[in-house]
Amino acid sequence: MMRLLFLGLVSAIFIFVLLPLLVVVVVSFGSGMTINLDPSTFTLKWYGVAVRSDLFRNALVNSTLIGAAAAALSTGLGLAAGFAIARAHFLGRSSLEALLLSPLAVPGIVIGIALLMVFSTVGLRDAWWRLLLGHVLLTFPYCVRTVIASLSRLDRSYEDAAATLGASRFAVFWRVTLPMIRPGVMAGALFAFVISFDNVPVSIFLADAKTTTVPLAIMTYLEWNYDPSVAAASSIVIISMLTFAMVLERLAGLKKVVGG
Amino acid sequence: MRRVLLLTPPIVVIVLLLLVPLWYLVDISFRENVPGRVTFLPGYSLANYIAALSDGFYLSVLGSTILLSLAVTLVCALLGFPLAYFLWRAPPSMKGILTLLVIAPLLISIVVRAYGWMVILGDQGLLNQALISMGLTGQPLRIMFTTTAMFIGLVHVQFPFMVLSILTGLERIDPLLVSAAETLGASRLRAVLEIVVVLAIPGIITGMMLVFTLCMTAFVTPILLGGSSSRMMTTLVYSQFNTAFNWPLGSALAIVLSVASLVLVSAFLMGARRIPLVRRAESAGSKG
Repeated sequence: MMRLLFLGLVSAIFIFVLLPLLVVVVVSFGSGMTINLDPSTFTLKWYGVAVRSDLFRNALVNSTLIGAAAAALSTGLGLAAGFAIARAHFLGRSSLEALLLSPLAVPGIVIGIALLMVFSTVGLRDAWWRLLLGHVLLTFPYCVRTVIASLSRLDRSYEDAAATLGASRFAVFWRVTLPMIRPGVMAGALFAFVISFDNVPVSIFLADAKTTTVPLAIMTYLEWNYDPSVAAASSIVIISMLTFAMVLERLAGLKKVVGG
Repeated sequence: MRRVLLLTPPIVVIVLLLLVPLWYLVDISFRENVPGRVTFLPGYSLANYIAALSDGFYLSVLGSTILLSLAVTLVCALLGFPLAYFLWRAPPSMKGILTLLVIAPLLISIVVRAYGWMVILGDQGLLNQALISMGLTGQPLRIMFTTTAMFIGLVHVQFPFMVLSILTGLERIDPLLVSAAETLGASRLRAVLEIVVVLAIPGIITGMMLVFTLCMTAFVTPILLGGSSSRMMTTLVYSQFNTAFNWPLGSALAIVLSVASLVLVSAFLMGARRIPLVRRAESAGSKG
């Protein structure tokens, strides 16, 4: 009896967690805002509407480019910082690490308004650059974290062996160390892309009417209408993010990247 | 030397994009705004902080932000423990996929999740359709753009963080302890309540601190589900920047919000550590 109650509660919680996502996907195939589970009425019409809409298409291009550029820059920063920190035992090492991870501890909206005021004051008006710089700040701590974690798990004897056999420092890094930490580095880069792609509290202050991102475009659209094309755009986001999640899980274990 | 070269770019990023902007934010918060324009009077003053901490409206927004965050945190803990326990006890072959199902929403845009709730909670939404067809209500219930909608949306957004924190704590407990208690004659319920819950306390506290902080500064869910008039500090800050163009007051309100959430979380942690049960659980956890 207790067991049945418990299983009922757990099922209810799972439904609560997954229902909003399922609802979005079902609405995207439907002919209107009502939930219709009859597969014969399913249509891909709204995906066409979403893909043809300038708002969503431009946003998708911006988000992809900014996400990729931020992920690339953050991976470089993460590798540099990770190598400098993980391999050393100097005084202040842990406070340095805390400083590099500090963007994660500041509320997004605080970072957003602070960057808005500084960029406006120094005259940086181009929204694309504002977004890129903001997103690098938001994403590179994750790359620092994954690089440090990968390096601390690494057995140094392989690098020592390569060095003993005459490999230069760069050759050791490029042909031994980097291949061995690649899964962690890739996971950091993908996670950086996801964080950038998803961000609202910082982006909303840095974007403008011409240069917007996918979540901001969906928010703008929701202010005026509820038609299923926004569900179609959201489903595209859900499916691409779940694919990302599976790749991440394969590479590094999702829990480790999310929870640190 | 090589280390200095490697560390320069990341530290430049932190200084130019985080520390300088934060210092500028604090500076602006002590300025006085020229109404309707983004220019400031010369000199510094405490006027914005006095307004933020004495004006009845701003104080009530701060109060309702704190109350809503507390409620969300409590409900997340109450629902999070059973689910984390279920994942902990699940057979190893199922554990990965079940955990992924709980974490999956974390990787889906918070905007999309809010949209899902709009479809469910709207006047012609799934919930109202179901209630009307069952004859439970004649008029559609007004849920969207209320505190209830924000509450449901926030619980949904924060829930995975709570489950992950509790699960991390549970992973450190030896499952044999439960079997041992049952062998000694305790019912499963009693074994769970007296052993697992107590040993999970550090994880629950971590989760509660995390969820409370995230709720206080949540932005997307309140603005989409609570509407523009939602009484949350973050939406208030947003309106200062987006419609009132009062940077100094907006900055001061953002700082009040950050300090309030930091102070409350520290007070919560200190208060929790005074409870003997919590202290015992934490020392037991550090031994194991």
